[in-house]
Amino acid sequence: MLANNARSLFTAISKRPFICQACLRRVRGFQLGLTSRSTPSTSRGLQTSGQEIPQDDTPFRKALKDAAKQQKKDKSAASESAQGTTKSKDPRLEKWELTVGIEIHAELNTARKLFSSAATSVGEAPNSHVSLFDVAFPGSQPYFQKETLIPALRGALALNCTIQPRSSFDRKHYFYQDQPAGYQITQYYEPFARNGHITLYAHDFPHGAAPTDCPITIGIKQVQMEQDTAKTVQQPPSTHLLDFNRVSHPLIEIITLPQIHDPTVAAVCVRKIQTILKTVNACTAGMEMGGLRADVNVSILERNGEAGGEHSYHGVTGLGQRTEIKNLASVKAVEDAIIAERDRQIDLLENGGTVEGETRGWTLGSKTTKRLRGKEGEIDYRYMPDPDIAPVLLGEDLIEHLRLSLPKLPDTMIDKLTTKYGLTKKDAATLLSLDDGNRLEYFFNIMARLRGSQLPTEDPAELGRVTGNWVLMELGSLFKDTDFDPSRVDPAQLASIITHLHRKTITSRSAKKLLLMKFEGDARSTEKIIEEEDMTFTPLSEQEYMQLAQTLVDEKPDMVKDIVEKGQDKKIKWFVGQMMSRSREGSVEPDEAERVLREVLKV
Amino acid sequence: MSLLKYAKQYVVNQLKYAHLNAFISRTDPSSLTGRPPSPDPKDAESGLHSVYDKPIAIKDNICTKDFKTTAASGILKDFTSPYDATVVKLLQDAGAVMVGKTNMDEFGMGSHSTHSHAGPVKMQRYEGDEASAGGSSGGSALAVASSQCWAALGTDTGGSVRLPAAYTGVVGFKPSYGLLSRWGVIAYANSLDTVGIFARNARIVETVFDKLNVYDPQDPTSLSPSTRSRLGSNEGRSESLRIGIPLEYNIATLHPAVRSAWIRALQALSEKGHTLHPVRLPSTQHALSAYYILAPAEASSNLAKYDGVRFGSRAEGVDGTPESVLFATTRGQGFGSEVQRRILLGAFSLSAQAIGNYFIQAQKIRRLVQQDFNNVFATDNPLGDEKTSPKQAEEGVDVLICPTVPTLAPPLSEVKSQDPIQAYMNDVFTVPASLAGLPAISVPIHTTHKECAAVHGENDIRESAGIQIIGQYGDDKLVLHTADALQSAHKTVQSKAGPDMTAWGTSSLGQSSAKERRAFYKIAVEHGVTIAEARAIGQERDRKKEEVENLLLTILGTRYLDKAAAILDTSREGYMARFVQKDDPVAAEKAFFHNLMDQKQHAEYASRRIKLAPLDVEKAKM
Repeated sequence: MLANNARSLFTAISKRPFICQACLRRVRGFQLGLTSRSTPSTSRGLQTSGQEIPQDDTPFRKALKDAAKQQKKDKSAASESAQGTTKSKDPRLEKWELTVGIEIHAELNTARKLFSSAATSVGEAPNSHVSLFDVAFPGSQPYFQKETLIPALRGALALNCTIQPRSSFDRKHYFYQDQPAGYQITQYYEPFARNGHITLYAHDFPHGAAPTDCPITIGIKQVQMEQDTAKTVQQPPSTHLLDFNRVSHPLIEIITLPQIHDPTVAAVCVRKIQTILKTVNACTAGMEMGGLRADVNVSILERNGEAGGEHSYHGVTGLGQRTEIKNLASVKAVEDAIIAERDRQIDLLENGGTVEGETRGWTLGSKTTKRLRGKEGEIDYRYMPDPDIAPVLLGEDLIEHLRLSLPKLPDTMIDKLTTKYGLTKKDAATLLSLDDGNRLEYFFNIMARLRGSQLPTEDPAELGRVTGNWVLMELGSLFKDTDFDPSRVDPAQLASIITHLHRKTITSRSAKKLLLMKFEGDARSTEKIIEEEDMTFTPLSEQEYMQLAQTLVDEKPDMVKDIVEKGQDKKIKWFVGQMMSRSREGSVEPDEAERVLREVLKV
Repeated sequence: MSLLKYAKQYVVNQLKYAHLNAFISRTDPSSLTGRPPSPDPKDAESGLHSVYDKPIAIKDNICTKDFKTTAASGILKDFTSPYDATVVKLLQDAGAVMVGKTNMDEFGMGSHSTHSHAGPVKMQRYEGDEASAGGSSGGSALAVASSQCWAALGTDTGGSVRLPAAYTGVVGFKPSYGLLSRWGVIAYANSLDTVGIFARNARIVETVFDKLNVYDPQDPTSLSPSTRSRLGSNEGRSESLRIGIPLEYNIATLHPAVRSAWIRALQALSEKGHTLHPVRLPSTQHALSAYYILAPAEASSNLAKYDGVRFGSRAEGVDGTPESVLFATTRGQGFGSEVQRRILLGAFSLSAQAIGNYFIQAQKIRRLVQQDFNNVFATDNPLGDEKTSPKQAEEGVDVLICPTVPTLAPPLSEVKSQDPIQAYMNDVFTVPASLAGLPAISVPIHTTHKECAAVHGENDIRESAGIQIIGQYGDDKLVLHTADALQSAHKTVQSKAGPDMTAWGTSSLGQSSAKERRAFYKIAVEHGVTIAEARAIGQERDRKKEEVENLLLTILGTRYLDKAAAILDTSREGYMARFVQKDDPVAAEKAFFHNLMDQKQHAEYASRRIKLAPLDVEKAKM
């Protein structure tokens, strides 16, 4: 039935604007009369959110800085290794091969929860977005929200998966206070997408860190939909406050094949998946907001062992005993946790020990992973098809429609930026990777404005190159020590600066000064600043140039002699400088000054 | 005066039978007797075919805002639901009155309603009797059987409505899965759970069913309107039904009284022109085992939510371990032994090591059981994806008729000594229809006086055996109508009686004829009193009537009275009855007779004129 009229239905849904959550809330009526109205809960809410934000944010900022530092370190290490000293020549790594598989959980960008009409929320007062089913009240039943399929399907399509015409939901049982029903509804037996892959190109890696065997393709075993859990807010020593707003927020879990053999590749893979999901609007928040979490499976095997490993995971055979590291909340954590776990396993095996199949944890900044539970403590999840939820049947027409309407993927985007907008591959990749795509959006915003401003050239490659330079270099240096904020320099203002520069109504020095002024909060429009600060470039006339040049030449006959007779050509630059400093700001162009000087000196 | 029919009688019965422990919570009697007059006369008028103003009991695993909903469990002992179940809401919207929440086996797990946090339900039909009311909806069944309400809702997962209906001697109906909303029904095993209906006859059951049989978007397993429209079309079905007799149900351990009731039921239907056909349901023998894998598996999952964190009771002190906040103590204290047993069974059969040998196999059997039914029914399963081989009209059957349960209601003492497996055996005949999601009803057929005496000795009660009618998916109406036909051939003492009468034939009026009781019911409804009070009024009326009759006979004589009665085309008693209520019957008679003669004369003149008129015309023509 779903399949029959799927096309019209889903076309309608996908065109529907994202529902305003405040409106939803107003309409929804409170199923649990008690939960959200009393004042004490509001005040508790404020208190909690006050604690929440730093909890979510601080590690990220720190992680970012750490990542930057790490990158520098990596760079120097890379150059060192180029000189043949350390790291990649680590004999232990020569001997042991690492194998990693990743499971990524990403929060879908949906208006409602997976199995109730409660609105999804981020940072709202605790327990204000909760339906009866979300908190597993007796007698309540799930109500599958079909619309949540749209972002999930987009994500899976972008990861080149085959969408299954039939999928179904199962219960995964385990007890924890953040799991109200005592089970999580997930897709264990019949996931909605299988057999995808992701390709990592050199431009996906930090500068100089790309492995030689790029591009690397990593298989994606499956993508499944599932429910998120509640948020536990710990109040030491023994109080656990529970916020059920996040319960049943739709997630997709992406399971890669164990085909990764390098911690950096793993990190890049996670980051690229994150970028792809954001690009196709499958997810909103990145890892920094807890919108994305990863588990990694790590195993090692001696490269020249007589026999391969005896374990097989997801159909990949001949692997060593793996351990699972749960709940890694940043790209950096993924990389560091894998390194730590790899080294721990190597130590273990080299000292005659064996690796136990166990679940381990890792916290940011630590040197080693920590055992959470062993095989004997392994949870038997007792997967059972959920008898209340009908299978999801998808029509080929819907899948085709979504495939065709998919936003451009990063690799396509890099292609577009380099061929159409004249950026270098490196700049294009940087633009794409910065600030969760906000920098790219900023770039396009400026390009759109430039297109309509009747510049001498309409060539997008030339305008793109100039804009790219401004957005990445000039603006980039201003935002070096602080987070990028597009509202600090309105794109319209930067577009105006570029337009003025391009029309040669200001000099590039003035343009940079203008940008700085806007960055530092000058509220006046660009035009107004140019006018009030008298920045308009009114070039000297040929006659004025000649006059100025002649004056200077006459003042310094020694220098002229050096240039004309001794051929010390560089000293011309000194005259250029003098010409610029002696005339009004922005009225002398260095190229023009040099031309005139040469004419006067006859060199 | 309360407009609620028999309100007082129901209240009296509730007090009188409180020791049966059929209710966990009950409404205040004043809410029944003091109910304001009906605001919707249209609904109220339809009388029997309406639930308006009817007192209905609700099983305690169906959520209500007005009463606690405990599911007879310690873990929910103080739980009040923030919302009403859809079935409750529908009944309330139709004007029914909720009389209370009925006792049951904890979360529906049990066959005798003894596994209850509120104590066991006891069917006491006479001094010294203590029998099982069946389970798990034993409270609802017994509430109807002891006339504490007009109808009751139960839930049927593997027979929890039909089994107690059979033991207590009332009608218990489990509709097709997916027809009645489960929103607000505390899940035991979702893929089997069905809301069911108890009443003293099939007509009342149908009335309640019609009110509840609607699509509910809040229940994801509720049948959509488009599918509903395809169900139960009886077009082209002959008046004479083809009735199937599943041979597998004639087991050696079938109680002779039950077998005899089965035979008499079949005879009665055969005499009405229906035809009987033996059929085979070979997978039946595995159905019970499959059920006791599947239901506990789902139960272990459904009951995982009871951790005392968000609702329900929580154990005193610290729970869990230092590393994790778990709920072992709370769950250990809150759940009763049978629930714990089934959670463990279910957790085992779902575990990685056992799922292949247990859960998966059981699901396969479930499919086979479904196919068995599809093979014997004349119509295809409207939900089936695989069509069974096309059948000739004379091949398939319309309904199946078999016992509901192999025995009569056992004494509780016997139940106590049973091991769990023996208790599970009770469900052997009810489980197959549950696994296949089919409509099934249990109809009480009285055992013979001889059979009854063999069990109950000199205690003068009527016992009954439950006879089950099973139909193809969606043939709910056919099943109900067949039940009605069976009941009209085998009336029970209670099926057409008023609320003075229990299913086992004890009337609060003591020994009395059906005619007498009907007169009392009328008085009780007119005056809003109990039937006992109505009898007092009736008896006072009779006494006065006798007095007046004697007076009139003495004064006027029989000849005069007979003549006067003849004028009115009535009997002498009928004529005298006119004056019973009068203060001075003799004077009233005189005035009446005088008036009557006047009218008679007047009428004679009038009729003569009318008769003559056409004659005059005839004459004129000539």
